[in-house]
Amino acid sequence: MSEARTGVAGTTGTVFDIGYQRYTGVREGRGRSRLALYRNGLRIALGLGRGPRAKALPFFFIGVLSAIGLVMAIVAGAANRLAGPGAAERANLPSHVDYYGIASIILFVFAAVVAPELLCRDRREGTINLYLVRPLTGTDYVATRWAAFLTVLTAAAWLPQVVLWLGLSMGDPAPLAYIRDHWLDVPRFLLAGLAMAAYTTTVALLTASFTTRRAYASVFLVGLFVITTPFTAGLAEELDGAAGQWLSMFNLTNIPLHVNDVLFGQTSELTEDAPARTLSAAVRVGWFFAWTLIPAAALWGRYRRLSP
Amino acid sequence: MTRPILEADRLTKRYGSHVALDDVSFTIGEGVTGLLGENGAGKSTSIKAFLGLVRPTSGAARVLGEEAHTSLAVRSRLGYMPEHDCLPSQVSAAEFLTHMAELSGLPPSVARTRAADTLRHTGLFEERYRAIGGYSTGMKQRVKLAQALVHDPAFVFLDEPTAGLDPVGREEMLTLVRKTYREFGISVLISSHLMADVERCCDRILVMRGGRVEHAGEVGQFTRETEAVFIEVDANRERLVTALERRGVRVVPDAGGLVIEGPDESVYDHVRDALVEAEAPLRRMAPRRHVLTELFEREEAA
Repeated sequence: MSEARTGVAGTTGTVFDIGYQRYTGVREGRGRSRLALYRNGLRIALGLGRGPRAKALPFFFIGVLSAIGLVMAIVAGAANRLAGPGAAERANLPSHVDYYGIASIILFVFAAVVAPELLCRDRREGTINLYLVRPLTGTDYVATRWAAFLTVLTAAAWLPQVVLWLGLSMGDPAPLAYIRDHWLDVPRFLLAGLAMAAYTTTVALLTASFTTRRAYASVFLVGLFVITTPFTAGLAEELDGAAGQWLSMFNLTNIPLHVNDVLFGQTSELTEDAPARTLSAAVRVGWFFAWTLIPAAALWGRYRRLSP
Repeated sequence: MTRPILEADRLTKRYGSHVALDDVSFTIGEGVTGLLGENGAGKSTSIKAFLGLVRPTSGAARVLGEEAHTSLAVRSRLGYMPEHDCLPSQVSAAEFLTHMAELSGLPPSVARTRAADTLRHTGLFEERYRAIGGYSTGMKQRVKLAQALVHDPAFVFLDEPTAGLDPVGREEMLTLVRKTYREFGISVLISSHLMADVERCCDRILVMRGGRVEHAGEVGQFTRETEAVFIEVDANRERLVTALERRGVRVVPDAGGLVIEGPDESVYDHVRDALVEAEAPLRRMAPRRHVLTELFEREEAA
């Protein structure tokens, strides 16, 4: 043991180097490892603990999404205040059922830009080799990364809807009556937001699992969502009957929005012209599950046997 | 030999028709052990088997008495420093080590304290809040070692710990490796191609070839003194050779010096006279030791 003494303005402090200390406390096992990886995933997705550039993109997207909800709330609230209760509904102003349709492309681009950060960098920098020699499996790794991004995306999807709900409630001349009449919107938008986030997270992470370059995954995903949407929508309108309906089902942007429509019992602004809207609720919800669970299984398959 | 920490019991690992480990049995106990062998000798497969990352085709790889491939929990008592890059560039060493400690099951508050302590022990305390991407190669190697130690493992695997380091960095890393066992009490297995590193650090060595253990034992057993004398001079080496040969002494040049095989007592007088005659300043005269490289040279010659 070494000792150093310092004296400052008449006081004396002693610093002891007690050397290396063995750890004899509790080791919390795999649960702690999973939780640590989940928290790390949240921090990566939000750029926390990194430089300002890493934070800029996620918070920009969350800000834009919230701004849309805020503008919708202000417009609808003002209409209700100025023209009386229900004026916003009568004027067919966008509401909870329409929000995910309006914001979907921003959510998709958010996922395309940020989700690859959770997987690509670990493989490119080799950090995954250190994770897999800890008390973790490949399944733990990919499941916690998926859960972390799902949490961020779900929060990003819900936050504007909550703002909109508060805006519509407070904007209504009779807030309690509004809440009594529209309380069902809350579980609907929560479930629809969860579906939207689950689908987007899974597709984005599966794409990211094929490359170590974040930029490649991002460009591919943006192309997948932004370019295929007008292509399938345009072609589906040209075709009649079942062919048009099923081609419309391949509009990747609309897949979770059909779930939103089924939950609200009406079509949103984005899906009101889609031929697929006339398919049964079971088919549309089943299609959503197929497009979420099959990519999830593929993602799991790519990581479950991974070793350094 | 103290109690075994790692135990390979008739361990075999096949990848298709390729036999990576062929019915090997050995134990590794406390101390610093060197794992030597050429590429494809089975070193990496052995390490992966002990880390539980590959399932043995037959036999068993046990760590602290537990089957490595069935016990995830035992990994929280192991550390691993890979040869290749594995560090995130954007985060600070303090944050990274805290995260790695939590991944090994330590509670968050303990993880933070141990991260700071480990960075102090590895000489990175002052730089701990800088992003790792800005570190030098030597500092990155230290972070790699620190992440392997941060959760206070019972045993740590170091894969080529001095790879890419300059002589000063290599010296510092070898000092840290020695400290890891002698001061921290953490036993070490070093996989390396550099015999000199292994000779300097290790108490025992295990030499593998073609998936089998070729030699195992104390380092001193392989580097014992020979019958030969090694002479090193600062100048006039050629004149010294001539002077020795004129006196009937047979010399062989070796590693910057001269070796006299199996000398009898009279040779020392000849060496003294030859040094004077050649005006060669003597730097060192000592019994020559075997070096680990000879193990491989002998096998290649055979």
